[in-house]
Parts: sequence; C-alpha cells; structure tokens
Amino acid sequence: MVNLINTVIFLPLATGLVLLFVPRTAPSVLKGIALAGAIATFLLSLAFLPIGTTSAADLSVPWISGSWLASYHVRIDALRLFFVILTTLVGAGSVWAAFSYGIAARLRGFLFLLLAFETTLLGLFTAADLLLFYIYWDLMLIPVFLLLSGYAGTDQARRAAWGYLIYNGAGGLVLLLGIIALVSQVHSFELPGAAFTLSAPLEWWIFGAFAIAFLVKTPAFPFHSWMPPTYTYSPAPLVAMVSGVQSKAGLFGLLAFALPLFPHAAHSWAPALLVVAVLSILYGAFAAIGERDAKTLIAFSSLSHLGLVWLALFAFNITSVSSSILMLVSHGLIAAALFLLLGFVEERVRTRELSQFGGLSLRAPRLAVFMLIASMAALGLPGLSGFAGEFLILIGTWQTQPVYTLLALIAVILASVYMLKLFQSTMHGPERVPYQAAIIEMRPREMLLVAPLLAAIVFLGVWPGWLNDRTPSTVDTRSMVQTTSPVDTKSAAAGLPGTRS
Amino acid sequence: MPVGVSISWPVLAPIVALTAGGLLIMLVDLMSRKVDRAVLYGIGVASCAAAFVAMLPLYGREEVTLSGAFASDRFSWTFDALLLLTLAITFLLSSLRKSEDGGNAGAYGALVIFCTIGGMVMAGANNLIIIFLGIEQLSLALYVLAGTGFPREASQEAALKYVLLGSLASGFLIFGSALLYGASGGIGLTALAAAAASPNGLFVAGFALFLVGLAFKLALVPFHTWAPDVYEGSPLAVTGFMAVAVKVAAFAVLARVVYVVAGHDSVALIPLWILAILSMLVGNLGAIRQRNLKRLLGYSSIAQAGYVIVALSGVGSGGLTTMLFYLTAYALTTLGAFGVMALLGDGSDSYADLDSYRGLLFRRPLPAAAMALFFFSLAGIPATAGFYGKILLLQQAFSGGPWGLAMAVSLVFGTLVSFYVYGKVVWYMYAYSEGEAALPTGNALAPWIAVTAGALGTIVFGILPQIFYASQPFLTAAAK
Repeated sequence: MVNLINTVIFLPLATGLVLLFVPRTAPSVLKGIALAGAIATFLLSLAFLPIGTTSAADLSVPWISGSWLASYHVRIDALRLFFVILTTLVGAGSVWAAFSYGIAARLRGFLFLLLAFETTLLGLFTAADLLLFYIYWDLMLIPVFLLLSGYAGTDQARRAAWGYLIYNGAGGLVLLLGIIALVSQVHSFELPGAAFTLSAPLEWWIFGAFAIAFLVKTPAFPFHSWMPPTYTYSPAPLVAMVSGVQSKAGLFGLLAFALPLFPHAAHSWAPALLVVAVLSILYGAFAAIGERDAKTLIAFSSLSHLGLVWLALFAFNITSVSSSILMLVSHGLIAAALFLLLGFVEERVRTRELSQFGGLSLRAPRLAVFMLIASMAALGLPGLSGFAGEFLILIGTWQTQPVYTLLALIAVILASVYMLKLFQSTMHGPERVPYQAAIIEMRPREMLLVAPLLAAIVFLGVWPGWLNDRTPSTVDTRSMVQTTSPVDTKSAAAGLPGTRS
Repeated sequence: MPVGVSISWPVLAPIVALTAGGLLIMLVDLMSRKVDRAVLYGIGVASCAAAFVAMLPLYGREEVTLSGAFASDRFSWTFDALLLLTLAITFLLSSLRKSEDGGNAGAYGALVIFCTIGGMVMAGANNLIIIFLGIEQLSLALYVLAGTGFPREASQEAALKYVLLGSLASGFLIFGSALLYGASGGIGLTALAAAAASPNGLFVAGFALFLVGLAFKLALVPFHTWAPDVYEGSPLAVTGFMAVAVKVAAFAVLARVVYVVAGHDSVALIPLWILAILSMLVGNLGAIRQRNLKRLLGYSSIAQAGYVIVALSGVGSGGLTTMLFYLTAYALTTLGAFGVMALLGDGSDSYADLDSYRGLLFRRPLPAAAMALFFFSLAGIPATAGFYGKILLLQQAFSGGPWGLAMAVSLVFGTLVSFYVYGKVVWYMYAYSEGEAALPTGNALAPWIAVTAGALGTIVFGILPQIFYASQPFLTAAAK
C-alpha cells in the first residue's frame, strides 16, 4: 500500500518517458501506451478507496538534514484521497481526448507533457512536506506553459502561456517567501504534526503569503486575469486538467497546510478573504452571462463556483467546511467534462463564438445529451453532484455569514442563466454552422472518455454522503471551526439523503 | 622569530602544479610549432588534475604560509576546486574545430592557466597586497584572452573596454588598500579587523573604495556596464571562463573580507547590500531584451552575482556554505550552458544567437533538453541545484534583518523577471518547429563531457543537496 503511493505518483511520468523512446511515426503505439499508463494509474489509485477517515497510507524518508529538516513524505489519507482519484480520472480522460488533438507529428510531446503534468499534480496532492509541496507547485508551471505555448499554435495562446507563467510564477514565489519565513523559524519543512509557535504578526504575514499564492492559483477575483485567456486558448485536454484539477491545488493547500498551520491568522484574514470570495462568485457569474465565447464562459463560471469554496472555508462552519471537498471534486468533474465536450464541439464547428453556431442537437443528439447533463450539473440541478456541494455549503455558510450567503445565492440563480444560455445557443434552435463544417455525432471513443466523468457526477449527486463519509470529519481544519450551534447543523444537514450529521 | 619567510610548500603545491603546467604548454609550443592544440590543452587538463590532487591533502585543514599572507582554509578550498573545474572545462570548450584562440594555442593555453592561478591567489590571499596581486594576474591575462577572437572587431572592442574599465577598477582597489593601510597600520586582514571595530573616516573611505574595486570585477550594478559588451565580444570559451572564474575568485575575496574584517551586521556592508539589490533588479530587467545568448548570460551573471551576495547577509558562517552551494550551482549551469553553445556551434559563436535555437528541440533533442535544464536551474525551477540554492539564500536573507528582507524581496522579484528571460530561450527551442533553414550543428566529444558534467551536477545537487554538503571540508566549522 505504502509503496503503491509512489507507483501512482510516478506511473504517468514513467509512461511519458517510455513514449519518448517510441518513434514519432507510430502514433497508434504512442496512443496505446499513453492510454494504458493513464488508465492503470486511475485503477491503481482506486486501490486506496478502502482508506477510511482514520487510516492513511504514509511514507516518510529522511531527505535533507542540517540547518533544517525535510523528508520525502508522501501520504494518502481521507483528505487527499479524492483529490488523487479526481486527478487520475480526469488525467485518463484528458490523455484519451488528446488523441485527436493537435498536429500528429507532435502528438508524442503532447502526451508526454500531459502525463508529466499529471505526475506533478499527483505529487502535489500527496505531499506532506512543504518542500515537496512547493517543488510540485512550481514544476507544474512547466508542462502547462509548454503545452499552451507549443500546441495551440496561435499568438493569443502564446501570450496566454506567458500570462500563465508570470502570474503563477509570481504566486509561487510569494508562497516560497512564506514557506522560507516559516521554516527559518521552525527549522523543518515537515510541518503537519509539528508543534511550534509563531508570533502573531509573523503568522499573519506567512498566512497572507500562502493565501495570495492560493488565490492566484485557484484563481479568485482580483488575481484571475491569467485565467480567461489560459482556459480559452488551451487545447481541450489541457484545460480539462487545469480547470478540473489544477484549480484545486490552492484550496487543497489551504486544507492540508495553511489552515491547520495558522489557525489564528486564518481567522484574522477571514473578513478580507470572504469579500474576495463573494466578489469572485458574483463577478464570475456576471462575466459568464455577458460572455460570447463558450470556453471563456465556462472559465468565468469556474471562478464563480470556486469562489463558493473560499466562502465555505472562511465561513468557519462545520457543514460548509466539511462539504468543501465534495464541492471541489464535483466542480473538477463538471469542469473537466464541460471543457472536453466543448473541445469536441470546437473540433466540429471550428469556432467557440456562441453567435456563430447552434442547433447541434439535430445532428448530434448524443453530444447534446452529454452536454445537457454536464450543464445541468454546473447550474446545480438537484440529483447531480453540483447541487449537493452547493446546497450543503450554503446551508453551512448561512449560519455564520448570512449576508454573504444571500449574495452567493444570487450567483446560484445566475448560474442557471448562463448555463442555459450556453446549452440553448449551442444545441437548440435552427441548425447553424460556419464554413460548411460537418456535424458528426459523438464517436464511441469520445463517449467512453466522458462517460466516467458524467457517471461520477450522477453518482455523487444521488449519494453525496458516500464521499462525505470518506472525507475527514475531524481534521485540524474542523477543530478550529466555531460551531455556533451543533444541533442546527445536524438538523439542517439531515435534510439531504446520506449526509453526515 | 627567524628572519626571512617560512614557506609551507604543501599549501602552495596546487599553484605550483598549475604554473608548471602553464610553463610546459609554453615550452612544448616553443619546441614544435606544429604541435596539435589538443596536445597543449591535454597538458592543461592534466595540470588541472595534478593541481586538484595537490589540493587533496589540504582537505579540511586550515593553514597559513608566507608569514600569514597566504592561507588554505574554508575561504579557499572549494573556491579553488571550482576554479580548477572551470579551467578544465574551458580547455575542453577551447579545443573545438572553430574555437578562437588568436592563432596561438600555446599562448592561449598558458594564459588561461595563469589567469586561474591569479584566481587561486585571490582565494588564498590573506592580506591586501596579495589580494591585489591575484586580481591583477587574473585581470591582465583575461584582458588578453578577451581579445583572442582577434580579427573580429567585437573581440577587439571587448578587450579594449575590459582593459580600460578593469584598470579603473584596479585603481580604486589599490587606492582603497592604501587608505586601509593608513587607517589600520597593517596590510593583513586581521589588522583590518581590529581597525574595523572602531572605524574612522579613513577606514570607511578606504573600505568603500575597496568594495567599489571588487564590485567592478564582479560586475555589480552600477559598475556593470562593461560586462555585456565584453561577454558578447570575447571568444565563446573565454566568456564561459570569465562568467564563472572571475566571479568565483572575487567572491572568495569578498567572503573573506566580510567574515574576517566586517561581520555581517556591519554598517560598512550596507553599500554592498544596495549593490546586490540593484544587481538583481537591473541584471534581470536588462536581460529581457537580449537576443544574443552570450550577452543574455552576461546580464544574467550580473543578477546571479547579486543573488550570491545575499548569502553573506545572514548571521553566522552558515552563509559561506550557502554561498559555496549557490556558486557551485551557478558554475555548473553556466558552464553547461556555454558547453551546449560550444557543442552546437563547434566552438564558434553561431549558436549564440537566440534565433538559431528555433525548434532545436526537434532537431537536436538532447542538447536542447540540457540547455533547458541549465536555464531552468538559473531561473530556480525546482529539482535543480539553482532552486535549492535559492532556498538557502532566502533562508540566509531572513536571518539578516531589514536589509536581508529587502534582499529577499528583490531576489524574488528578480527571479520572477528571470522566468521570462530564461523561459524565452526554452520557448524558442520548443515553440517553433519549422521555419528558418537550420544551422549546421556540431557533435564533438569534448563539449559533451562538459555538458554531461554540468547536467549531472545540476540534477544531483538539486535533488540531493546533502551530497554537496558531504563533500564540503569545512562544514562542521562553518555550521558553528
């Protein structure tokens, strides 16, 4: 079990390295190896499902000693499990989706970078040592930068790549300052579990550094300007990974490191972060309504949905905090599915402009059904995973932050507006396509690779408690939650089938 | 006390070995004009090895000789080792088909060796006169080497600029040394330390002039203006040598002066911190628009010198180890990058132009990947030696009070700018697969050795920095 962690982390990278030795002229071999590696990683990651809220697979090897200590400490526990599975699931889908993407001669490089990106994400989500966490945090920039600049082939994509690199690089460096400031005090990178005390101002500054880095990565409102171009111009398999998985890195960092390490500073930063969260929720929703590019629209809706998770965490209510992982996983599945499906649409009609095409459901009814499920999940239709996460979070935040919750509710309503607009203008209405593009029905491969994501969305929608029971109920984050009245929480959450009370 | 000077030959043995090698090269060249330069440079590499063997008995020992004027101690051993590594790699890169040597391989080889000896004298120098002697030997030889791309006007220009500004710097140094002598009554660094405890105006002025002289040699902003032109004009192998050896030697002097004379919290060092901050900012910002890699690495070396100074800011002598780690990382990556340039251009400058790297990853994947690795390391991307070096530097800065904090912020900002600078090179190799007619690329063995050594060091020290510490002779002393 313990050794399996490293296998799961490095199998994608190893697969990618094997690809480099396969001739570029043998695309079917390349595809076969890449897909086998990605699917094997997913299946192996499922082996960790039996981990309950009390056990963990933990591997710690001393790494650096001297003026400070660092370990190669990887861990899969209840907190990390679903981030890992989300990564391997979306990773497999993205690798498969990449088969039809880009120039055939550069397929090998594309698959290699995508698999390397998956390894950095898995490394990040399993890291239990701050140095290791930071290494993956920064390494992640390279595959995304190269994929974005090298494969979309347009000048906008290249500009987007630089925007991505500089913004996220800046966030990473701020995080590095915070980490080193902390380690200069406590002389160890292996912090969770270590007992230490920081002076209040120092803790405030360090948490601030972490928070800014996480806000950039997620992203949240004032730090989001790298996101729309990155999401819009990225090839679909890449953006499915970035928006489905990488956007969770910051919030994972909060849950795994920042909140448990700096509980006091988290409380003093909360008022500011709550404002940021609500601004993201509202700004994302309004921007999505006005957007005419399908991928940019989903980008802004992501901003809005992930803002809700920031609200959930800093409302410090046990229901909202404990539902945040459900919301994150759900958003990852929905965003990945939507971006992959929009990739198929773009491949067929060669545009993303909503005004340029429509009525696809006539010729491609299956594509329309898939799209319908994903959009309904994104707007929060009950019975799909998006609803469960949003509902539980709003129940929780209502108890501590009623004003912000009301504002967030506006965005939930707006979500119906923009998601319905997206669905209607692409799938319904008279058939309109530019350039005589041929609308072909979804191929079996395309259905197969999106189907698991949709299945998971439906499963989590009808049985959210399955996931909630497997995520921690008593991690450090929860211990600092000020529950105003536990009885209320219980009765409120009891309204939903299968929820933990 | 006996009259005369006691000489401890083991301490001087590395220098003697190198000198013998240099003389041998001249002699062989003199005897037979037709001798292949591979033979001459082979002698050069052999003398590096001999000097290194001569250094081994000094591992972990602190000794002084020549009545305290020259030492082998924690300020010299690793610096010397780095200088020898640089010298050996320079010989490898100079041996290529199109390498420029001014048509006189014997003189070229001997000069590179004497230059390195100057650096080793600087690293061991324990008084002002020996410091000056070392600096002058290093510089004079390097002025000539900068001009060995002789028929090219850029090379002549480089030599002339270097000699003019370098002499100015020497003037500052010697004038500063004279004032320091006047203020302290001695030329030994320990005598200076006594005077530094209660500095008078004379001492401050002398120390400032001395720092200015060193800053010229290190190309710290605002004394950096010569560097980009000289780096661009000099022959490729000489530029690589310059970028590493001069910095290593000058930092050895600086470290000794800071630790023995001043102490990290001394007010006298505030100008140094300001120079470091300016260098990190100007070096990185200046590199943004460069399209010639030699010039780009020139600006980069300005910024990297600024980073290295951060190591001196913190409490305790742990900073010395940090400095050595970062310098080692810098040496490996920079020499590696010059190695790739030399490899591809067969020793010529044809791969100094950024445009020649278009789509290189698809034509020559291995050199391109190595180049990407070196530039990632210079930028401080994780899992490279440059990354761990920056972590150490930041830690050092955080223990250095408000100036340390200011430097940490500048370092981080400079690093961010450098993401663009170094990222651009990687992007060129990667983002364009077709277009211009590809330049011919070389594939000689010698630069491959340099590239492989650089890449291995960059990765190994980046992932397992512990290995570097284990190799350090004075770590226990330094950790105190």
